[in-house]
Amino acid sequence: NSLTCIYNKTCLADTGVGKSSIVWRFVEDSFDPNINPTIGASFMTKTVQYHNELHKFLIWDTAGQERFRALAPMYYRGSAAAIIVFDITKEESFQTLKNWVKELRQHGPPNIVVAIAGNKCDLSDAREVSEKDAKDYADSIHAIFVETSAKNAININELFIEISQRIPVLDMGGSSGVRGLKLRREPSDVTRERTCC
Amino acid sequence: MDPLDRPESLKEKFESSSSSAATNRETSTCAPWARFSTWLECVCVVTFDLELGQAIELVYPHDVKLTEKEKTSICYLSFPDSYSDTQFSFRLRQSVGRVSGLWFGEEDDYNRDVPLILQKELAHFYGYVYFRQVKDVSVKRGYFQKSLVLVSRLPYVQLFHSLLQIITPEYFEKLEPCLEAVCNEIDQWPPPVPGKTLNLPVMGVVVQVRIPSKDDKAGGSPTRQGQKENLLPAPMVLPTVHELDLFKCFQSIFIHLQMLWELMLLGEPMVVMAPSPAISSETVLALVSSIGPLKYCCDFRPYFTIHDSEFKEYTTRTQAPPNVILGVTNPFFIKTFQCWPHILRLGELKMSGDLPKQVKVKKLSKLKTLDTKPGIYTAYKTFLHKDKALIKRLLKGIQRKRPSEVQSAILRRYLLELTQSFIIPLERYLASLMPLQRSVTPWKTPPQIRPFSQDEFMATLDHAGPQLTSVLKGDWPGLYKRFFRSANFDGWYRLRHKEMTQKVECLHLEAICDADLLSWTKDKSEVEIVDLILKLREKLIRARKIQLPVKDELLEKLESYIQTVISSLPEDLQTVLHKH
Repeated sequence: NSLTCIYNKTCLADTGVGKSSIVWRFVEDSFDPNINPTIGASFMTKTVQYHNELHKFLIWDTAGQERFRALAPMYYRGSAAAIIVFDITKEESFQTLKNWVKELRQHGPPNIVVAIAGNKCDLSDAREVSEKDAKDYADSIHAIFVETSAKNAININELFIEISQRIPVLDMGGSSGVRGLKLRREPSDVTRERTCC
Repeated sequence: MDPLDRPESLKEKFESSSSSAATNRETSTCAPWARFSTWLECVCVVTFDLELGQAIELVYPHDVKLTEKEKTSICYLSFPDSYSDTQFSFRLRQSVGRVSGLWFGEEDDYNRDVPLILQKELAHFYGYVYFRQVKDVSVKRGYFQKSLVLVSRLPYVQLFHSLLQIITPEYFEKLEPCLEAVCNEIDQWPPPVPGKTLNLPVMGVVVQVRIPSKDDKAGGSPTRQGQKENLLPAPMVLPTVHELDLFKCFQSIFIHLQMLWELMLLGEPMVVMAPSPAISSETVLALVSSIGPLKYCCDFRPYFTIHDSEFKEYTTRTQAPPNVILGVTNPFFIKTFQCWPHILRLGELKMSGDLPKQVKVKKLSKLKTLDTKPGIYTAYKTFLHKDKALIKRLLKGIQRKRPSEVQSAILRRYLLELTQSFIIPLERYLASLMPLQRSVTPWKTPPQIRPFSQDEFMATLDHAGPQLTSVLKGDWPGLYKRFFRSANFDGWYRLRHKEMTQKVECLHLEAICDADLLSWTKDKSEVEIVDLILKLREKLIRARKIQLPVKDELLEKLESYIQTVISSLPEDLQTVLHKH
């Protein structure tokens, strides 16, 4: 394990789309349908081995509720990556995602890696955003795109692997490389059922 | 080891270790704010209300209970006369009858393992303040004035002021949600554990700090964790939770260091009159820390105002001044404190060339007007001579533009060695009062520790005094005699005596466990045996209650002994004894 990569990430999105669920699935490999809304931000770390490298993720899972909206810059400004989550069963959450992208482009760190997660792909019957539209949009902004289900553990690790591959490793002069990244949530409807992450 | 998480067994690709630095409040069983309260009591926002004057605008967590008296004190202590952003600290007495949190108590693990000077306060709170005053035409008063105050029992002055620097500017912009977020993040912090390096995430920054342990080598800088990690963004590494920049604090008074050290050691009544709360609080805290590892056992107030609830108590003319050190800024205090024996008046720092101008020692009679000049107003004659070598070394450092941290490290080491030179003969003498190990037998009550005799101690100074470790000349015996009358001696002696008593109890327990109790009971009457059982039980209960530093196995062994002895008795007695 010659290399340790450390990523600071922010998870961004509106409330209710499943940011915390994605993070929990990744970090603890568990899912709680009744997860409480985050206040401020939760901080979590996870170390994973990928090929010959150790990757350490420092994840700031930010609150999606409107009253915490203004706090997001504190978390993404030092991040190497941001995961913006939307809910594929809520068209509105896809629109607010675009606002997050704009904000990140304007105020985020210049080389921040953006990943878009279309969450709740287990609920494809209720789909409102087509995979193609989301993919096309992601391509147009050079963002990573995956459809995920935190509930059924679909594509969660893949999402993080892709991010770690995209983040340039800084040469710190030693054997350890460093990357940073943060996650944010996307705004969507609070009233949505929580079980459908 | 990686302080952020434990590298657990790494399995195949991406099927691997994880740990979350954060607890999951959803699944955790701890009470709300349990983690938060290991760090902070609460966070207050103090504002100026046109009708009420200073008022608390917000307390977080909302359910924290402060008494009216505490609230009033916090309001006044957090609102200085200042014209820009400033940070300072205060300390206030908690109201009588207040129940301190579950977490505290004399036998608290934290307080047991941490250096004395970092123990959690049991009867006081610290307040760490970030005050802002800026012109604001939209406000009636023409100024925006507000303070963010962290209230804690922990003396982590550096950590909390660094935290304030991170959160306050954001708070003033983003208001309550920001405070809510910060408090929730603090509620995810691991609790302070002596000897541990902790990562404390707050507002997108990870603050990394080590909590000192009682077992750290004195004077040695705590070992930084071996492998440095390159985090991005780099964590904010704080070299210390509590140590102040001593050189900065003492820059205009370092030529009187010896005198100030003696005054602190003796717990003399002292007033520090400074041009700002920042200077007064830093100076008072630096002075109090100057006798470490000894604990300063008198009251100290880094920033004290006439509104303080102890103002009357401390300024009454009918009694001698109390043994406290008070930091003040209001020039009115010159009158109030005219009868105090030692007043340190600090001014704005003046430079003469490269050198910070040193204040002079002045007669108390010169202390009269509101524009009293900087100086140490005292009639005190030091017991020890000045250490010219130290002063020369510091002066040379200034000329060579040595960084302040290095100058501070020199000062810190010097003060530590001085205190140790003073205390080692006392420790050595105290150790000689311990009963001999062979006098500890299972068949008798534990032997007594011999009483402390000042004369006996003084007689040891000739051959085992401070001259063994310090080159400083002067009247060391005189200093000891005076020290015996101080609260600091009392506090030191009580603590040591308690530790020694426990040590004897431990030895006694060990002796009992090594003895062959069963054969001793052979020729004894039932009454004697029952008496033995009750006594042993009492010992066991006490050992558990006061957490006597003995191994658990020892206590278990004792317990099984008791059972064995009981089972050697007639059955009817056994039943009775088992019931109890």
